[in-house]
Amino acid sequence: MIELNKRVLAVGVFAAGLASFAQYASATEYPLTLENCGRTLTFDQAPNRVVSLGQSSTELLYLLGLADRVVGTAVWLGSVQEQFRDVNATIPRLADNDPSFESVVGQKPDLIATQFQWHIGPNGKVGTIDQFAELSIPVYTAPADCMGKDNTTGGDGTRIDAFSMDQIYQGIDDLSKIFDVEERGAELIADFKAREKAAREKVAAVNGKGISALFWFSSAEIDVDPFVAGQKGAPAYVMSILGVDNVIDSDDEWPTVGWETIARTNPDIIAIGKMDRRRFPADDWELKMQFLKSDPVTSQMSAVKSGNIVVMDAQSMNPTMRTIEGIETLAKAIEAFEATQ
Amino acid sequence: MIGPVIKPVIGNVISSPVFMKRISVAFAALMLLAAVLAVAASVGETAIPVGTVINTIANHLWDAGHPVDAIDAGIVWNYRLSRAIVAASCGAALAVSGAVLQALLRNSLADPYLLGISAGASTGAVSIVILGLGAGMLSLSLGAFIGAVAAFAFVTLLALQAGRGTGAIILAGIAGSQMFNALTSFIVTKSASAEQARGIMFWLLGNLSGVRWPDVWLALPVAIVGLVVCLWHARALDAFTFGRESAASLGVPVRRVYAVLIAAAAMMTAVMVSIVGSIGFVGLVIPHAARFFVGTRHGLVLPLSALIGALFLVCADVISRVIVPGQVLPIGVITALVGAPAFALILCHGRILR
Repeated sequence: MIELNKRVLAVGVFAAGLASFAQYASATEYPLTLENCGRTLTFDQAPNRVVSLGQSSTELLYLLGLADRVVGTAVWLGSVQEQFRDVNATIPRLADNDPSFESVVGQKPDLIATQFQWHIGPNGKVGTIDQFAELSIPVYTAPADCMGKDNTTGGDGTRIDAFSMDQIYQGIDDLSKIFDVEERGAELIADFKAREKAAREKVAAVNGKGISALFWFSSAEIDVDPFVAGQKGAPAYVMSILGVDNVIDSDDEWPTVGWETIARTNPDIIAIGKMDRRRFPADDWELKMQFLKSDPVTSQMSAVKSGNIVVMDAQSMNPTMRTIEGIETLAKAIEAFEATQ
Repeated sequence: MIGPVIKPVIGNVISSPVFMKRISVAFAALMLLAAVLAVAASVGETAIPVGTVINTIANHLWDAGHPVDAIDAGIVWNYRLSRAIVAASCGAALAVSGAVLQALLRNSLADPYLLGISAGASTGAVSIVILGLGAGMLSLSLGAFIGAVAAFAFVTLLALQAGRGTGAIILAGIAGSQMFNALTSFIVTKSASAEQARGIMFWLLGNLSGVRWPDVWLALPVAIVGLVVCLWHARALDAFTFGRESAASLGVPVRRVYAVLIAAAAMMTAVMVSIVGSIGFVGLVIPHAARFFVGTRHGLVLPLSALIGALFLVCADVISRVIVPGQVLPIGVITALVGAPAFALILCHGRILR
């Protein structure tokens, strides 16, 4: 607990320091105009009351030291990052999943940050952008959900271009400009890029080449065809940046692929998703592990036999800030894999 | 009352050449089924040489000890063969249920889902997956089974309240199905995210991907016992074709036979639906196809329906696995795509015959 308080204090002091520093650095000049998901947003001043839909968007605001501006959150996939637990507890949670239109508007926000167009977008479930525009509330959409992505296809939408961390960096850059904390944003981006580089160097150091991997998110039932990572989502980026070959060819973000096909591709490393969600039994990573080891076919796969199964936070498997943690986790797994060779 | 009708017949028949002919026909049918199962074991998402398939099956059946790749062997034996046998059991059970209900209710449009079973199973499944009922402890299959039985109980109660006659059951079934379907839509639209909706779609359209040997030990006995129970009442079913009153005047204990057969059809369907989801059209179309070949006598219609149903569903499953490379289509899509035109054909053909 003391450790935690120290950390929160450190973040706070750091943010305060930055705020004073930013005055001398490149301060945002208002009115600010920026392009976001095909629309032009204009800000006369830094927003003071922001409602954030989507865990990654919310955590990014916290990371930028803007927790005091957040007046409501929703769409939580897992528990908040440890370092933000205390500050998050003080902010109203409108809903665990989709909030209602009125509960969002009721917070009287002067900005809504949404992670997914599924919630607020052309056909948003919570509301459309036009509905919020009528109330003069601007909506900022995380670039990761609209850059190279077609959200008119229904459901999760279809990714046309592969995801890359640049989309996350774009989001950090935009928000830091909107809230006039550009220095902090630049720091974060530099830090993320350094972590990416370090992970790549780690893999290079063990000469990890020609390695293949499978990312298993979950399954509707434990032994049915699983949801695995295709070529366009965050796991594909995680793998490509470390020179790892994704055994799944599909262009979908999360295709369902039969175990027969998967077993025959025989990946070197299997990453299984860990999440708080318990909608399907297979959401539990221990059950996934148990299945891999006990199923007559998957237990014969080389990754299972040699124990090269890595547990990865599900948030790192989705296009979020925490994709970076996925890169680090996989880099470690590659180290371990090379050690068993 | 049925026993005494049948027993002397059996006694006379065993030594006759007709009986020998039937035995050989039944044997040929089983061989055909085995051949189709073998084909299903050798065709799939990935290419496995026929030699490997034969060696694997030989290893398991006769301890032949051929060297085969462990993954290939597992795929053939644990995935494909168990899946094919469950598909066959499921096709047979649904077709027999359909044939029985069509005879009992004297309605050629009757199918196993008429009793609200698939609607109830869907409600049970979405309650688990979307509402999170049972908090990950109840499996989707169990939820579906509970839903199916609940819906069937509801329909039965409604039919009993509504009074006698086949019309009451059909109307009660429609009311029950509509109600449970509405409940499913309500749950899905109220609280499903895109990913959840996708997670349940696979099941609503029929899915055999999670099938393993334990499912075989459930599906196969249920299909066989169900078929035997229905066959035992084949003569009574023939009588029912002329209506309840005629059946009663022929000495059939109408109420008991009615209850036993409807319960048998409902249980078979509920078990199959809970294993593989709602696969449509098999129960509706296959009995009609069987009647084309052998007329209306249920002693022949029921076993032939079972055989055609089994073959049809195994083939549909093979098609669903290979038609789009690298992707498995829901089997319900295939059966409906084939079943709908086939049914249209039967309708037209029937009119010409009349």
